[in-house]
Amino acid sequence: MGGNDDSRIRYDTKTMPSSFISILIAVKSGTGALVPLLAFLGLYALAMKLAGLKSVENAHEESIWAATWVPATDARPALLLTGSLDETVKLWRPDELVLEGTNTGHCLGVVSVAAHPSGVIAASASLDSFVRVFDVDTNATISTLEAPPSEVWQMQFDPKGTILAVAGGGSASVKLWDTATWQLVATLSVPRPEGSKPSSEKSGSSKFVLSVAWSSDGRRLACGSMDGTISIFDVARAKFLHHLEGHSMPVRSLVYSPVDTRVLFTASDDAHVHMYDAEGKSLLGAMSGHASWVLSVDVSPDGSALATGSSDRTVRLWDLSMRAAVQTMSNHTDQVWGVAFRPPGGTGVRAGRLVSVSDDKSISLYDYSGR
Amino acid sequence: MAYVYIPVQNSEEEVRVALDQLPRDASDILDILKAEQAPLDLWLIIAREYFKQGKTEQFRQILEEGSSPEIDEYYADVRYERIAILNALGAYYSYLGKIETKQREKEDHFILATQYYNKASRIDMHEPSTWVGKGQLLLAKGDIEQASAAFKIVLDGDRDNVPALLGQACVQFNRGRFSDSLDLYKRALQVYPNCPAAVRLGIGLCRYKLSQFEKARQAFQRVLQLDPENVEALVALGIMDLHTNETDGIQKGMENMQKAFEIYPYCAVALNYLANHFFFTGQHFLVEQLTETALAVTNHGPMKAHSYYNLARSYHSKGDYEKAGLYYMASVKEINKPHEFVLPYYGLGQVQLKLGDFKSSLSNFEKVLEIYPENCESLKAVGHIYVQLGQTEKALEILRKATRIDPRDAQAFLELGELLISSDAGAALDAFRTARGLLKKGGEEVPVDLLNNIGVLHFERGEFELAEQTFKEALGAGIWLAIMDGKIHNSHEDMQFFQQLDGDGTSVELSWDKVTTVFNLARLLEQLHDTEKASLLYRLILYKYPDYVDAYLRLAAIAKARNNIQLSIELIGDALKVDDKCPNALSMLGNLELKSDDWLKAKNTFRLASNATDGKDSYATLSLGNWNYFAAVRSEKRGSKLEATHLEKAKELYTKVLVQCPANLYAANGAGVVLAEKGHFDVSKDIFTQVQEAATGSIFVQMPDVWINLAHVYFAQGHFALAVKMYQNCLRKFYYNTDTQVLLYLARTHYEAEQWQDCKRTLLRAIHLAPSNYTLRFDAGVAMQKFSASTLQKTKRTADEVRSTVAELKNAVRIFSQLSAASSQNFHGFDERKIETHVGYCKHLLDAAKVHCEAAEREEQQNRQRLEVARQVSLAEDARRKAEEQRKFQLERRKQEDELKQVMQQEEHFERIKEQWRSSMPAPKRKDRSQAEDEDGGHSEKKRRRSGKKRKNDKGSKSRYDMDESEAEMMDDHEEMENEDATNMNDQEVETNEMNDHNGVGADNPQDFLVAAGLEDSDAEDEAVPSSTMNRRKWAWSDSDDDQPVERQPVASPNRENSTELPDSDGEIRESNKLNKDADVDDEDDD
Repeated sequence: MGGNDDSRIRYDTKTMPSSFISILIAVKSGTGALVPLLAFLGLYALAMKLAGLKSVENAHEESIWAATWVPATDARPALLLTGSLDETVKLWRPDELVLEGTNTGHCLGVVSVAAHPSGVIAASASLDSFVRVFDVDTNATISTLEAPPSEVWQMQFDPKGTILAVAGGGSASVKLWDTATWQLVATLSVPRPEGSKPSSEKSGSSKFVLSVAWSSDGRRLACGSMDGTISIFDVARAKFLHHLEGHSMPVRSLVYSPVDTRVLFTASDDAHVHMYDAEGKSLLGAMSGHASWVLSVDVSPDGSALATGSSDRTVRLWDLSMRAAVQTMSNHTDQVWGVAFRPPGGTGVRAGRLVSVSDDKSISLYDYSGR
Repeated sequence: MAYVYIPVQNSEEEVRVALDQLPRDASDILDILKAEQAPLDLWLIIAREYFKQGKTEQFRQILEEGSSPEIDEYYADVRYERIAILNALGAYYSYLGKIETKQREKEDHFILATQYYNKASRIDMHEPSTWVGKGQLLLAKGDIEQASAAFKIVLDGDRDNVPALLGQACVQFNRGRFSDSLDLYKRALQVYPNCPAAVRLGIGLCRYKLSQFEKARQAFQRVLQLDPENVEALVALGIMDLHTNETDGIQKGMENMQKAFEIYPYCAVALNYLANHFFFTGQHFLVEQLTETALAVTNHGPMKAHSYYNLARSYHSKGDYEKAGLYYMASVKEINKPHEFVLPYYGLGQVQLKLGDFKSSLSNFEKVLEIYPENCESLKAVGHIYVQLGQTEKALEILRKATRIDPRDAQAFLELGELLISSDAGAALDAFRTARGLLKKGGEEVPVDLLNNIGVLHFERGEFELAEQTFKEALGAGIWLAIMDGKIHNSHEDMQFFQQLDGDGTSVELSWDKVTTVFNLARLLEQLHDTEKASLLYRLILYKYPDYVDAYLRLAAIAKARNNIQLSIELIGDALKVDDKCPNALSMLGNLELKSDDWLKAKNTFRLASNATDGKDSYATLSLGNWNYFAAVRSEKRGSKLEATHLEKAKELYTKVLVQCPANLYAANGAGVVLAEKGHFDVSKDIFTQVQEAATGSIFVQMPDVWINLAHVYFAQGHFALAVKMYQNCLRKFYYNTDTQVLLYLARTHYEAEQWQDCKRTLLRAIHLAPSNYTLRFDAGVAMQKFSASTLQKTKRTADEVRSTVAELKNAVRIFSQLSAASSQNFHGFDERKIETHVGYCKHLLDAAKVHCEAAEREEQQNRQRLEVARQVSLAEDARRKAEEQRKFQLERRKQEDELKQVMQQEEHFERIKEQWRSSMPAPKRKDRSQAEDEDGGHSEKKRRRSGKKRKNDKGSKSRYDMDESEAEMMDDHEEMENEDATNMNDQEVETNEMNDHNGVGADNPQDFLVAAGLEDSDAEDEAVPSSTMNRRKWAWSDSDDDQPVERQPVASPNRENSTELPDSDGEIRESNKLNKDADVDDEDDD
């Protein structure tokens, strides 16, 4: 199954029903029906695939732990933002991955980076629990956020760009920061699941929140924790809705489908990627194939493919209609901490791009061709 | 109508006796004969007539009367007739003896016969017919040589004596000299062309034996022309027909046999052949009847052997091995030499093999091999027996021979492959593949189990794609294909899924012979990390065969790997419902209980597992050993006595496993750990190294523990670089760099090697991997603090260094403060006071650092100034020197060129100035010492002073180092301190004096903190009795989490993770064994 890069035309009628289902789901939810429909009507015949474009060895002096795309602005194309154990955050210009700038100012490793949908500002966070919000083009510090004793893990701006959600680690909560005032506006606490002992020794870390994801309509927020539970919040009411069960190991990354606001993809240390109906609380499917922890997951802009990065040093591309890995990239030599599809938009940039960053200090850029 | 006329004595009259109306009572005739004193030839005629009519009693009566002493007396001159009577009696008794089956009576008959012949000889030594009779008797007795001598006597007298010729021919035939025999028969025929058909029979047999089959056939046919009812000829022809091996021939042969049987139902040969025929047509009832008759009618050893063989074979094929064995045995008993008839040995061997009597079986097969050394079936059987007897080498040799002799025998390759599985997987695979190729070539269906075994071997060699192909080939079409192709998904972890499929009309079939392969395929998918499909396959197995415990265990293992302990325990529960004594399930349950910290339960479960197998299950014993080891090193208050007891117990258990199974890597590893725990590092290092080597062969054995343990040993022995390498390799090789515990070991090693930055980086990585482990943060804080402290102690440091130290200290303070804040929320189990101490200490260091920083900056400033001054001075000096040189040079040149260049003087002057200006630019920086010294007089004095201070400080700094150690010890273990504290305390005594001295220095001296931190851990100090075992201290590292409640799992266990691996591989081996057995059964039946 490895290294499957055949570009044969696949028109397999037997797999059609499942894509039909995804159309139905899409139609039902009323959004994004177009893409799978198009896919179904013809483009379906093309196999999706990744092709390596460029790799930068020693892009950082140490392990690279975070990567995200800064959306294009009128003045420039989308940029790549990476954060590393070497305490720096770097900006790169595709496709040649030219280094645009190096931001210092963090102590201890940089664990996550996030970009505002406008592409103007971005945030980076390090192990010392500071979040630095800065202007992408000038590197001017806009604000420094901290909410002790809560530490900082994954962050994400909401689709409209009004709130920055920050996974608050041991505080068992997600902190929401207003992007206009940079004030803490809400703390979404993860409740303990009913029936668990109130204060056993271990429970302190059990709801340790590692990861956050916004739904594409910005109404829902999901967060993943060390013990594998996923919590769904209604953002408008700042209310916890329910847990999603299925993982029992840390969920370090999750992402909502861009075409269906109900569908959530989660990556866990249990080497699985799960696909949930986040509203209906049900597990739609589980995908296995990675040999070790799945550290990062991202969904392609058309919603038809997933990319995952794993401790097993590989990047995998998953065809959601087949629920199977269609390609495995093995160019990294150490854990792959981040994968990110470039968001669509920007002048003259139509081609799909995926980037991956790794403990091996390198960045890899791939061409992604969907169906 | 034939009549005999008995002359009436003293008259011309005769009594007419109708030969077919002889009176029933021979006495009537005898009375007449005696009364009329009839000539003796009449007696003979009448007796013979009786004999012809089957009235042997009367025959005997007349002849006995005719040879009585009275007759001898009365007919004293009638020699020939008397002899004839005696000979007739002799022949009669010879015949009786020949057909008699009971040995005793046989003897008696022969004795009587001998007596009659001897009596005849006494009458006339030279009567040839007597000799012929004697010869026949001797032949019947099997005394061929003497028989030959007897016939020779006759033939010497009359070389055309037909009976003697026939007798001698018979002798030669029995001697195996067939052409001589043939000559004799021919002569007999020439002498007496009208001789009975039997003579031609003899010719036919000789020709047959001489392989002149056409002539033999002619002879037999001639016999039948003469005597259409000649059974022997019929049988002989039948045999010849049967041996043509053509359908026609066989049919004709059988017809002949049948005819023979109808004519004479007691011909053993015909019976045997018929029985043989019916054996093949499967009419076992007939076989038994025929052979029993054959046995009853013949006395001829080889013939009986055949009959017994037929019987045995019949029972054998019916599966009645006991009876078959008995008859084979009877058959073998009838055979003098195996050369004559080897088949029963083969059959007996097979039956004995089946009944488990390997030794006897072996000897029988070996007899077969003596005669047919290249008989593949026997070779295979012998090979198989050697396997059963555990003589693998011999078995291999035999089977290799078998495959060499017949490279087309798929079965032999199959056996060879099965044998090689354990010793040489590669060769086994080759053998299996050859077998598969042969079967395919022969158009036979390749058995599922063969393909399964090939698949497993590929699997074990890591050739996963080949393995998958093979398994798929073995399975053929079925629901598994849909699962493999991802066309069936299941998001629910229950069996209803398949019921649903069943209900939907999808066929959910799984035949029993394919279960193993499905299981193996699932195992393969697991290995390829395609756990979802693997789970589905396991569930498919369970849906069809709910008793398949291994599938439950694998599902449990998958759940366990995903940390779903609850589900895992439930699945084990299901498995235990099937078999509540299943040692694998119990062991795994114990392991899970250990994982969820349920120590007592775990111990009980392991005990149960151990009991379930009478202590023969190494895994359970091993687990108990591990349990004891953990118990020894886990208790926070180390009762040394308890610890020793547990260690001893652990050692005992490991040793027990090693005795049972000397190749048990895990037990060896455990033993190594116990040894290391006791400080025998060299021995334990050897053990670990060997285990490591052994473990690198198989894909199923993953033993990171031994790497870790080796690294621990290196660490304990102070080989930090080696330890680092080993930890890093281990992380990379086994954990995809994800194991924080090993990272912690690595950090600790860096710490010990004073590689602070590496230590810090490693800890940061660990934090990134295990964000909720606050201990790591604490440790990172300590590392930074230590780094700062050590930088500040350095005599020479740049302002940059100091600045980075300050930054580091700030980080440390932040980390500690965060921990402190977090501890109020009860995130982790640190003592807040301890953290406060660290914060205080760091802040203090920070203050100190500020001073240092200022000092360093000042110094740097001064240095810079000094350098600047020096540079300028040197520049000036340089310029001066250059100018000087230039001048000198110019002077010389001028001297030389004075006369020549005077005119150009003016111009040169100008040049000189230009040159000077230019050369001053790149003046090499050379310090002029004296100058600098002068310039820096005050400085050097300061330096000297400071170095003095430094020397004093040395002690202080040492104690400070120790103090740091004590800090570090918090990160590790109380134990850690034992050694250091010993020196620490001594130092502290010295120090108290120094402290006064240095009070003035104030900021430079963190003693108060030192005391605070030092006293912090009063336990440690109490224990700080001159440290007995430095080794142990370091070793104890292996569960360094004693005071870290967050991470109490005994991770450095010598045996972790093997829990899943061990039962698997067991399971698998068992699988293939099962198959082996199946194959054996098949084996028995072909003949």
